[in-house]
Amino acid sequence: MRYRTGAIAKRLLFIPVAVFIVITLAFGLVNLTPGDPALVIAGDLASDEHVAEIRAELGTDKPLPQRYAAYVRELFTERSLGTSFFTKRPIWDEITQRFPDTLELVVLGLLGAVLYGSLLGTLSSYFRRRWPDTLSRTSVTITQSIPDFFMGLLLIYVIFYIIGWAPAPVGRIGLLDRPPDRVTGAVILDTLIARDWGLLKTAFHHAMLPVVTLALFYSSHFAKTSRAVLSRALNSDQVEFARACGLSELRVVGYAFREARTPVVTYIGILFAALFGGAAIVETVFAWGGLGQWAIDAMLKLDVPAIQGFILVVGLLTLLVYLLLDLIVVALDPRVSYE
Amino acid sequence: MTAAAAPPTASLLEVTDLRVQFRSRRRTVHAVNGVSFAIDEGETVGLVGETGCGKSATVRAIIGLLKSPGRVTAGSVRLEGTDLVGLHPRQLRQIRGASIGFVPQNPFGALNPVLRIERQFRNVIRAHGRGRRAEIRSTALDMLDAVGIADPERVLRGYAHELSGGMAQRVVIALAMVLNPRLVVADEPTTGLDLTIQRQILDLIRDLAETEGRSMLLVTHDVGVVAQYCSRVLVMYAGQVVEAGPVRRVLTEPAHPYTEALLAAVPRRGERLVGAQGTVPTLLELPPGCFYYDRCQYRSDPRCATEAPSLREVGPGHWAAVHYDKGAGST
Amino acid sequence: MSRARLVLARALPQRATEPSEGGRAGRALRALGKGALTHKGLTIGFVVILLILLAGFFAPLPHDPIQPNPESTLQSPDGEFWFGTDRFGFDVFSRVFASARLDLPIALAGTLLSIAVGIPLGLAASNKSRWSERIMRGLDMFQSFPLLVLAFAIVALTGNTLQNIIFAIALVNVPRFIRLVRSEALVLRESRFIEAATAIGASRTRVMLRHVMPNTMGIVLAQASLAAAHAIIVIAGLSFLGIGITPPDASWGVMIRVGSQNIATGQWWVSFFPGAMVFVTIVAFNMVADGVTRLIGRAED
Ligand SMILES: Nc1ncnc2c1ncn2[C@@H]1O[C@H](COP(=O)(O)OP(=O)(O)OP(=O)(O)O)[C@@H](O)[C@H]1O
Ligand code: SF4
Ligand SMILES: [Mg+2]
Repeated sequence: MRYRTGAIAKRLLFIPVAVFIVITLAFGLVNLTPGDPALVIAGDLASDEHVAEIRAELGTDKPLPQRYAAYVRELFTERSLGTSFFTKRPIWDEITQRFPDTLELVVLGLLGAVLYGSLLGTLSSYFRRRWPDTLSRTSVTITQSIPDFFMGLLLIYVIFYIIGWAPAPVGRIGLLDRPPDRVTGAVILDTLIARDWGLLKTAFHHAMLPVVTLALFYSSHFAKTSRAVLSRALNSDQVEFARACGLSELRVVGYAFREARTPVVTYIGILFAALFGGAAIVETVFAWGGLGQWAIDAMLKLDVPAIQGFILVVGLLTLLVYLLLDLIVVALDPRVSYE
Repeated sequence: MTAAAAPPTASLLEVTDLRVQFRSRRRTVHAVNGVSFAIDEGETVGLVGETGCGKSATVRAIIGLLKSPGRVTAGSVRLEGTDLVGLHPRQLRQIRGASIGFVPQNPFGALNPVLRIERQFRNVIRAHGRGRRAEIRSTALDMLDAVGIADPERVLRGYAHELSGGMAQRVVIALAMVLNPRLVVADEPTTGLDLTIQRQILDLIRDLAETEGRSMLLVTHDVGVVAQYCSRVLVMYAGQVVEAGPVRRVLTEPAHPYTEALLAAVPRRGERLVGAQGTVPTLLELPPGCFYYDRCQYRSDPRCATEAPSLREVGPGHWAAVHYDKGAGST
Repeated sequence: MSRARLVLARALPQRATEPSEGGRAGRALRALGKGALTHKGLTIGFVVILLILLAGFFAPLPHDPIQPNPESTLQSPDGEFWFGTDRFGFDVFSRVFASARLDLPIALAGTLLSIAVGIPLGLAASNKSRWSERIMRGLDMFQSFPLLVLAFAIVALTGNTLQNIIFAIALVNVPRFIRLVRSEALVLRESRFIEAATAIGASRTRVMLRHVMPNTMGIVLAQASLAAAHAIIVIAGLSFLGIGITPPDASWGVMIRVGSQNIATGQWWVSFFPGAMVFVTIVAFNMVADGVTRLIGRAED
């Protein structure tokens, strides 16, 4: 125990360094990459004065160290990520407004991916080399080879256009529906809070396709990990002894599952962090209106402060998720102790 | 190869002409080739033989836990009259743990690393019936006490990785015996432990068997262990029992050339047992005559190369599968 | 970061390496080539990729892939337009094959670049020193970052030139090669023949180049195939979002993007065929990776 707390303290001490690195990365992305964003924003036909103006507004006219200092100072003293080049709204507001939507999508999508993937992996390993294994491996081969945005389009065509089970793939609720009062900012949660069951149904309905898209695409990670880990676990001495003690097959699979728990949780954490940006394409396909879609818009418009702010926030979020992940992994597995 | 080795009296366990194969697309390993023996109530039987001769396969076949692609292709395993081969998995599950306890080789591999020991006891006990938490707890405490664990409360609260090797094996034994099985099967239960601890564990197993009148099948490489802890011994070679009988007799007057070589090559404790010369047949294709023919120094009998010898009684309760008779020359 | 990855690494099966004695890149590759003919999946995957690439450059296409025909927009597949046309009047069939001219070479170039950077860094990081520890730490940090989005942002900020796209793909894929080469080299170094080479006085660099590197070629090739599959997804994603390749240039991602506006109204063919092509390409790369893994005896089953 003592080792663990020590190591966790060490990890916490490392956080400021990591934060510093993320800030530098976000800064460097804009300021160290070749090319002049001002030129791109202004377009080919812009006058020199106009370009200079944009440079001044972006701050890219000043020398590098000065810019860096200004960036960091603004971050810490004013706690500001700057304002959008186009809307002039504070980036922080733009991000916090959209964050809950993305969070909802990512959580539901990952949940689906974990459930479906683990189911596949379990079937595969338990019925190794029999038909359920073949079936599940075929599913993995297919879903991991279809890019998520194309999968989304296929689902739209089949489930919305042909069968008609899903609503039009635009937004979180119907165009004419009145959104729920904003409490958490997450539509599904807010409809729950407002006890608006009709709207809740609509919201779930709209969430169906994007969630299934994410779930299918990312399920392959869980299917492959759980298959590998479970296959080994089901052949382990531990499972043999459990069987020799007369435990039921369900229990035995449960024992094996605990072996898979740590890697599965680790994958959940890694994908959770990655999906805040990674879900951007799917958000775009379904006009979800979350953080990712906003960031892609910013990239298309070259809204430099917005891109910078997004990278910074996603980077910090990732740090946070990984820290939590470490804590969870330690809590889950009594064997993991820091050396 | 008939059930010749089985004594006429009804035994607790009767294995008859057991055959096990590991069959994959490319090859078939004939791991067990017609093994027959019986274990009586309260008897401790040793099973020895060099590595790869099919000891573990025999044991796994008895408890119905052969690893894929292993399969029992023939024979029967009768426990108190019930044939376990082909028994419905649910019934077999009821028997495992409750009627047959299994002590494996590696205690750390056997214990669940992420469950508290108490939980593992609860799972085993509840797999065979109901039980209230407190009752189970006291049963577990008693059992841990019986296997000589000094601080059962603490062990119950802890995890496997907090135990030493000897302690872990004690806990495993406690788990295997907590439901008071009539038969305990131990597959090299002390390999990998310190010499002094090996002895303690074996003493413990014997004491637990003796006090409850349990029967034991003890797999080992160690002829010394057999001499000290077993009443009868089975000598296996290439998936067959080549000699069986009372320990004292087999060890002093071995009737099979293989047993003789085995005794001559008695390894130091803890070492893998390797025969004096030559190696075991591959078990991929079975030879027509005696399996030991290639290595045998007595293979004078013309039948040795062509006809598989079957077990025959060479003394009171002493059986051997050999054509050659050392006492009376060739039969 | 390192903890999570470590746990993952521990959870995944460890593989033992049997290095080929004094193997050289040439010999290893020749053996692979010979084995490839006897391995169905590998052959099929390789041939499919080759065919798509060749068709992209040399196949006679029924229509000009970058010249739209405004008279025939959004036509469903028929005898004239085998895969139909999109809303600008581009012939989908011609464009699906023409896309291979851009998408595949970019994917391969990006992968090659990441190998070229990854191998030396990986070998360097396999030296047990404080610096290699630091490289790995930094890599942990870097990899924990959502790299896909980073790649998008980089291309968006630096402009969507081919070099920038290739660079972004290399960036996304380079960590896996560093990791792979490092772990391979660490295992190989412990092996006996490397010890022998060191014992007879071969220099460290020489041992690395002549003995360690060639023995990692097989597994690097397998990983490269996976990386190429991933690169195809990244390029398609970039172009789909409008950040990467832009019309009228043909790219599968661009085509899917164009078709995405029509799919909800039933004109499935505009997106479907390029999407199917991406699917086939990725499966082919995966088959090659699978085949190579099996061939060098690293498959799990
Ligand atoms: N999963 C398997 N697939 C194929 N062959 C197997 C498998 N498991 C065991 N065998 C073979 O079956 C034979 C008997 O093995 P077994 O494990 O019973 O030997 P053993 O007497 O217990 O040896 P040891 O003393 O080393 O434990 C061996 O030849 C072995 O190679
Ligand atoms: S049967 Fe013949 S070959 Fe076999 S052990 Fe006896 S004497 Fe030797
Ligand atoms: Mg064994």
